[in-house]
Amino acid sequence: MDGEIFFGAAYRGTKQYTQHQVRTASATGFGAATDDYAERGIDLNEQLVRNKPATFFMRVSGDAMVGAGIFDGDVVIVDRSLKPSTGKVVIATLDGEMLIRRFERTMNKIRLVPETPKLAPIDVDLGAEFSVWGVVTYVIHAL
Amino acid sequence: MNGIVDCNSFYCSCERLFRPDLWDRPVVVLSNNDGCIVSRTDEAKSLGVDMAVPYYQCREVMERHGVSVFSSNYHLYGDMSMRVMDTLRFLMDDEDGGHERVEVYSVDEAFLDLRHIPAAQLHEFSLRLRTVVEEWTGIRVSVGVASTKLLSKVANKLAKKEKIKTNCVMVLDTEDAVFEALQRTEVGDLWGIGRRYAVKLRDYYGIQNAWQLRQMPEEWARKNLGGVVGVRLIKELRGEPCIEMKDPLEQKKMIATTRMFGTPVYDLQPLKEAVATYTARAAEKLRRQCSAAGSVDVFVVTSGDASGQYEYDPHSDHRYSILPNPSSVTHELMRYVLPLVEQLYRPGMKYLKAGVILGRLVPEGAIQGNLFVPAPENRNGALMDAIDNLNFSMRDDVVKYLASGLTRNWKMRQELRSRRFTTRWGELHEVK
Repeated sequence: MDGEIFFGAAYRGTKQYTQHQVRTASATGFGAATDDYAERGIDLNEQLVRNKPATFFMRVSGDAMVGAGIFDGDVVIVDRSLKPSTGKVVIATLDGEMLIRRFERTMNKIRLVPETPKLAPIDVDLGAEFSVWGVVTYVIHAL
Repeated sequence: MNGIVDCNSFYCSCERLFRPDLWDRPVVVLSNNDGCIVSRTDEAKSLGVDMAVPYYQCREVMERHGVSVFSSNYHLYGDMSMRVMDTLRFLMDDEDGGHERVEVYSVDEAFLDLRHIPAAQLHEFSLRLRTVVEEWTGIRVSVGVASTKLLSKVANKLAKKEKIKTNCVMVLDTEDAVFEALQRTEVGDLWGIGRRYAVKLRDYYGIQNAWQLRQMPEEWARKNLGGVVGVRLIKELRGEPCIEMKDPLEQKKMIATTRMFGTPVYDLQPLKEAVATYTARAAEKLRRQCSAAGSVDVFVVTSGDASGQYEYDPHSDHRYSILPNPSSVTHELMRYVLPLVEQLYRPGMKYLKAGVILGRLVPEGAIQGNLFVPAPENRNGALMDAIDNLNFSMRDDVVKYLASGLTRNWKMRQELRSRRFTTRWGELHEVK
């Protein structure tokens, strides 16, 4: 994903150790070479959570976005600090309901577009109670 | 300058975050055990729903007006509070680091040290705080800014009173602004003035508003307004800062865990189990701040008589022990706590509430030995670490002492609790 990382990952790990506490170094000295390079393992939070206080997880229910690779039961990661722009998948609120759709803004109107032939795009009325709750940044999908 | 950021109807705002259908509807949140109203939105307020009123008294009115009622969901509120505070720290940050500039005062309030912001930019900066916190976390806040903490509280309260006019931001940066704000503030609304003092000031001294109070001499305050505290209050009103920013890392001097029971407890065994559970919770908090406790204090609250179910005439009683050596080990603390429960227990009484207070806290690394009692050889540090780690990562107290019981019938009632959207995989919000 593009954009700069301006707020760190949620979980900084528990590996606060010094060289002296690394136990793989045996009396024979074997293992000592790798100990010099001990570091924290890969943490998904670093990759998926760019702005921790603004990031929320939600579960998708239904087929509205299957064309975008977002399936029923998947978890989506939502960042409230990002501004919605045309083409982004967003969590929108419309007349008291929360929907996951692709956001489209043209000169004078806003459309919420599903990624399935089963549903029709929604033209947002001027009078409707509408807002963009957050922008979807990643989807977690089990294969 | 000092600022205070205060979340608007915080618990209700958290409940509304995932419920757009409630954004313009009245919402209230109940206290532990669904007892009283502890948070309400402006819509609920205008229906005449008062704070701290027992739920059963206004249930009918609320049902008639379609007020949405929630039990306290502390997992959600705690997480949302952290998000708000993290956002504030980020916004207060520059090369010198913003962490010392944010003093978390309560779950929904933080004091800000705004000395690094030029006076001309204070208003704009406060508006930015408000906007970004709402954008990122969905929680609306009000910002009050003034030369002292007390005055910033005054500003905050006034900003909240007229949300649309002030945009939830008020900066008292001129003498005129301070004058007007204090004139509009009743003494009872001042931070630190309780109801008793407010009545005394009004009826006995004829002091109605904060401006009148500010005119009083310091000597008068020392005599009639609680000594040094009163003097500080007057000085803060005059714009002389007396209440310093607290170091956010400062350790607590006392740790208490108390709860109302979900249903009254009559027997010794469940009472001991409840107190053992609170002890475990308090010990966990104790270890989190790397302290050890030198004393334990247990208290219980009973209803006046065992038969009268609606008569609320509580009596409380307590016992305490001083430990020979300060400790942070749960079972070590329980060894002193549980006998106290036995001493306190009277058969036939109806117990409503119990609590444990750990006192005489010392840093764990620097426990002073007792000359006459040998210090325990093993402090069980590894065991406590293991328990804390398991309970933190797996939640719901997966590892607990048998003394805490297995059934927990006394656990508090939370019948109307929303999902823990931000802390449990199994309870995520669903979108269609």
